[in-house]
Amino acid sequence: MNSNSQNGSQTTPIIEVTDLKVHYGNTPALNGVSFDVYQNEILGIIGPAQSGKTTLLKVINRTLEFTPDTTVAGSVKLDGEDISTIGDVYGLRRRIGMVQPLPVGLPLSIYDNVAFAPRTAGIRAKSELDEIVERCLQQAALWEEVKDRLNTLGTKLSGGQQQRLTIARALSHQPDILCLDEFSIAVDPVTTMRIEEVLKTLRTEMTILLVTNLVQQAKRLANRTAFFLNGDLIEIDTTDIIFSENPSEQATYDYVNGTFG
Amino acid sequence: MIRSELRKKIALQGGAVIIVGAVFVFFWNDLRKTAVVHIQTSSTSRISGILPSLISDLNLILPISLLAVLSGVVCAFYLEEWCPATSWIRGFIGSQVNFLTEIPSLLYGLLAIMVLFSDPGVLKEIGALSPAQNVNESGVEVALFERNTLVFYAETLIFILMAMPIAIKTTQEALRSVATPIRESTYVLGATQWQVLTKQVVPLAFPKILAGGCRSMSRALAAAALLIGIHIPSHTPGPRGIPDRFVLFLGGALLLSTISSFLTVESGTHK
Repeated sequence: MNSNSQNGSQTTPIIEVTDLKVHYGNTPALNGVSFDVYQNEILGIIGPAQSGKTTLLKVINRTLEFTPDTTVAGSVKLDGEDISTIGDVYGLRRRIGMVQPLPVGLPLSIYDNVAFAPRTAGIRAKSELDEIVERCLQQAALWEEVKDRLNTLGTKLSGGQQQRLTIARALSHQPDILCLDEFSIAVDPVTTMRIEEVLKTLRTEMTILLVTNLVQQAKRLANRTAFFLNGDLIEIDTTDIIFSENPSEQATYDYVNGTFG
Repeated sequence: MIRSELRKKIALQGGAVIIVGAVFVFFWNDLRKTAVVHIQTSSTSRISGILPSLISDLNLILPISLLAVLSGVVCAFYLEEWCPATSWIRGFIGSQVNFLTEIPSLLYGLLAIMVLFSDPGVLKEIGALSPAQNVNESGVEVALFERNTLVFYAETLIFILMAMPIAIKTTQEALRSVATPIRESTYVLGATQWQVLTKQVVPLAFPKILAGGCRSMSRALAAAALLIGIHIPSHTPGPRGIPDRFVLFLGGALLLSTISSFLTVESGTHK
């Protein structure tokens, strides 16, 4: 089922997920999922609601710990190190950029929103922060719209702009891994395309986990695609195979072709 | 845009404060006269009028209230931010706080009078109650800041019992009002718990915490009105005149509610 990725060079896994099981109380969310994510690839994760996609991302950056009554079994290794035993959880989270489905504007100015993570990491120099803020806002396709009002509140922006602000924020601490959880829900199609272009260029710098409800988005962007259903990993393979006429599982074919259920 | 909104709100609230102040200034002389009429035995201006009452009551209320409100706030922070959700401490203190905040404040005052200050009361039993030195018919000047230590501790106890539960409850509510997504998206950026608290939660919750402090104080004042107005004057410095004292509580409660309403004005923004 598993396969090497498209490029022969991408052989070192940056994330190794082994037999990951997650329960919310007695309700299972992930039932023994195993796969690898390789350096500098875009891994598309598709699947209907309740299939454990968001839970998977929360396990990786250890924010699942904030949800009470959850149990996690199995292991997730980041660069060969088990994340559950990492002492510096804040350092771990700084290595992972996370974009949530609905934008959460921190009640700070646009500038401070983006400069928040660098500041917590200890960067104080104004020139350095200016440079980071401009770069991140440009990468998130927001710079042109807000460059004249960086001191207004981030929460006053429109939904789509706020979402791009959260993307800029996720990039601000220069993560190794960027997790996008259905980032395009609140963004219009034109802007989505602009962000997708950015993601393609970002691939050279980081590994991207793209959880998406739009299967065509996974087809456009991902090197490999994983199909989750009810907490099980049905299939993970190169995007070409998943979207071809003959993936190894019938459910995958049905889902990506819209004949599911 | 945000500034102008804020300015409008400050103007409205400031107006309310000015009106309250104006009422005081306008009736100042009347208040003084009323006070003097009721303290017929007083021949010195030092212990008549509103000022001695004010000083004496502030002297009583300020240190105690700071103690009660601060300990309440600290307790709430511990319960909300550090205490594990399943801990029995949380359940125990939570239920006690709920119980104490539901008791009408009048009962605290009555309880205090009955248990501590009445004739067969605790303080009398241990001989702590002695007549106040300041109400002096021959007009000898009195020290307003003198206090009876045991009476002071007794009052502290009542104030803490009164003010602390409300301070705990309102602070907990203020901390909970900071939306979980804001906390989580701050954690996601690699912030430590301390950074999340100081950079996001406290700035957002601060006005509400302060308003809660004011509310707990004004409630404590209600109970203290009974205490100070009826019973304590004979044991603590300050004039005896009961209307004199009640006027102060009216003013104090008005002022506190104004501050509290000012602070609860939409506080979703900072910076």
